Amino acid sequence: MARREQGRGVVARPNAARVQRSAAPKSPATGLAGFGRRPLQALEARGRSIRNPVEKLRFLRHSIERFETLDERLQVLPGAPLRWVAYRLTGVEETRPLFSKNPWGALDPPRRNRPPLPRRARRTVNAAALLLVAAAGLALAGYPLRRSSDVASVMAPVVVAKPRPVPTAQARLDPPRGGLTPERIWLVDSGAAFELYSNGLRIDTTWAVRGEPRRYRVFTLGGGMGEEVQDRPIGIVYHTSESDIWPLEESFNEKLRDSSQDLLRYLRRNQVYHYLVDRFGRVYRVVEEKDKANHAGMSVWAEGERVYLNLNGPTIGVSFETRWEGGRALPITRAQLEAGRSLSDYLRHKWQIAPALCVTHGLASVNPKKHLIGHHLDWARGFPFEAFSLPDQYRVESPAVRLGFEWDERFLAVMGEPWPGASLAADRLATEAAARGRSLDEERKERAGAYDRWLAELTTDAETAEKQAAQAKRAQGGG
Amino acid sequence: MAENKDHLWKAPEEAADRIEDLVRSGSHPVGIDVGTSKVVVSRRGGKEVACQSQLNAFIPVPYSPVTERTIQQQSDIHYYRDGDELVIFGSATERFANMFNAEALRPMADGLLNPKEKQAWPVLEAILQSLVPKPRSSNEVLAFSVPAAAPGRESALTYHEASLRQHFTSLGYKAMAINEGLAVIFSELEQSNFTGIGISCGGGMCNATLAFLSIPSIMVSLPKAGDFIDRSVGEAVGEHATRVKVTKEEGLDLSKPPKDKLEKALHIYYEDLVETLVDTLRRAISRAEKLPKTERALPIVLAGGTARPKGFRELFERTLRARPFPIEVAEVRMATDPFTATARGAHIAAMFEK
Repeated sequence: MARREQGRGVVARPNAARVQRSAAPKSPATGLAGFGRRPLQALEARGRSIRNPVEKLRFLRHSIERFETLDERLQVLPGAPLRWVAYRLTGVEETRPLFSKNPWGALDPPRRNRPPLPRRARRTVNAAALLLVAAAGLALAGYPLRRSSDVASVMAPVVVAKPRPVPTAQARLDPPRGGLTPERIWLVDSGAAFELYSNGLRIDTTWAVRGEPRRYRVFTLGGGMGEEVQDRPIGIVYHTSESDIWPLEESFNEKLRDSSQDLLRYLRRNQVYHYLVDRFGRVYRVVEEKDKANHAGMSVWAEGERVYLNLNGPTIGVSFETRWEGGRALPITRAQLEAGRSLSDYLRHKWQIAPALCVTHGLASVNPKKHLIGHHLDWARGFPFEAFSLPDQYRVESPAVRLGFEWDERFLAVMGEPWPGASLAADRLATEAAARGRSLDEERKERAGAYDRWLAELTTDAETAEKQAAQAKRAQGGG
Repeated sequence: MAENKDHLWKAPEEAADRIEDLVRSGSHPVGIDVGTSKVVVSRRGGKEVACQSQLNAFIPVPYSPVTERTIQQQSDIHYYRDGDELVIFGSATERFANMFNAEALRPMADGLLNPKEKQAWPVLEAILQSLVPKPRSSNEVLAFSVPAAAPGRESALTYHEASLRQHFTSLGYKAMAINEGLAVIFSELEQSNFTGIGISCGGGMCNATLAFLSIPSIMVSLPKAGDFIDRSVGEAVGEHATRVKVTKEEGLDLSKPPKDKLEKALHIYYEDLVETLVDTLRRAISRAEKLPKTERALPIVLAGGTARPKGFRELFERTLRARPFPIEVAEVRMATDPFTATARGAHIAAMFEK
């Protein structure tokens, strides 16, 4: 039964027409602006006026979904302070704790159906209009006493009237720009501290150091550890540096410069990553490509039957100076994106790296003791594979899950749900277990056991190689 | 002024027609509570929501033509033959358990498919088939309840959920899983806009969910419920768990002092269960990083067979208010029908998805 009292006196009772519109699931007319800056109270008040539980549920869920879509749109706004204001003006901030990838509370939530394109297009227009209102509100509220020219100067960098498709994790990224592109990538010029390549990539080599020699083995699903010792990089692992990130504003110039330099000092000292792409798109070589760097120690990835453990050996680590922060928005600058793309093209061209072996740290990182995926979560969501002309690795069956790895509550607390490839692999594992007449647990244990054996073999092999190298060195010294 | 406003409230009343439209158009969404001790189905029969249930239990008896003929003569007994055994399942199980002075077996344990029970899946499948008809049209929505993942049991839940999904999909339904506590919120907390805490105390597990405006924020499960009480009390007083269950279901009153040793033990274990449940909920809410802001106190609704004894609500409220709780609680109340609350909530979810 509908309650007769007014909802806390914040929002007036809705009129009949409005209730009808709000309750109708497919009506595009429901305006988010109608919810004001306290949307939860407004939702509560309107919700109370709907008597039918299904209709009420529909109204609430669709309203929240609209706020979620608006949130995605607002994330393209440049500048954290502007976003902050926009979130508050639109009330999105208040509704954010309600955004859920798992609205039914089940382990395997149904995917949210994307609305058809025309409706999305309408939403985009609505969002653009909202952004314009938000920006105007910001300018007027923040600088009420300034001259009109000052207001204009504040508004200028906002560019919200036409929300440019600044890349977000969800948004489709611009295709590579037009213009002449060389067929192959070659070294055009080099100096004491730089290398320039034909695709425009400029690598700063000031910080470059030698690492340990590469040495790794490949495992095959049927045959275990391969006999041949490999020493060529065959893949790329993308990281985020998770270092201090300062606002990309002129007043922070000193901090911006210092933090990159501090980071590079640390990376060189510890031989972490092969490349760092700073926030202005400068590419620094840290460890020589042909050597091994520390970047993805405990990790698993595969290509077909070939399984790679401990990706420090077989891959090149490329890190973007940024913090991942959940991957809901693209956390890198446009300059980093462009430079990252050029660097990726160059590495793939030089080492003939297969697209299937270009992966993110979050997708490959594991906790080998607990047999859990997502030990590190950088780029576990939101890496712009498409912009890098790479296949969407989030949809590829997770090799670690196929090897009996699982995810835990900590993982879900950050991710909400596993990436599609992990779920896919888990489903396949369950099917295979059922086909073999086993419980999923039994199947997982067996596969995780195989992984443990492989890892032990790999460790023993590395130790043996180290001993042999040391002996050889001693023998050389003695001779 | 009041009169002028009153007519504005007619619009929501018209909304009910939409549900009727849904039925008239040939859609028959189904909600199922797949519980450890009972399977309850909710679907629309005419204008009303109708619920049917089966005991989620079975008992194998030795096969003989005479036994089978006897069973066949009674229409309310569901069974199938498995080699040299007749597997009797569903509500008739209890009768046979008494007849043979044996314990009824369960296809599920602690809220999930029982991995130790060979007949678990065939029996559950048979029980579900006896309750869920084939869909009348393709892609009819069926929502089934699942517990929240208990720490360390995620993989078992995945298997449980996937098996049920696969089964219903093979029947031709568009199957979706819904958290048990959330289903209770859907059926019972509509007046508070699906905001509050829904608790389902079943046979194998207690499930609690805190939702805001229908979105689950916190979900916890406790592998301690009716079966735990029966087992523990049985061990403490040297009684058969089945007898403890009967005493518990027939006339236990937790608001009155216990009459005998068995009731005393029941009181003790009920208090233990409620204490653990409240504590689990308290810890989960305290640990939650981001909860939506709300100024109002939230209701708690209790459902499930284990919450049925008289005085359970009072015991729960007493325990809750004995120590500070991280959110303000407006009221603690029982579900209108504790047995069917989860199934009815799942039914609402199925109608939503349609």
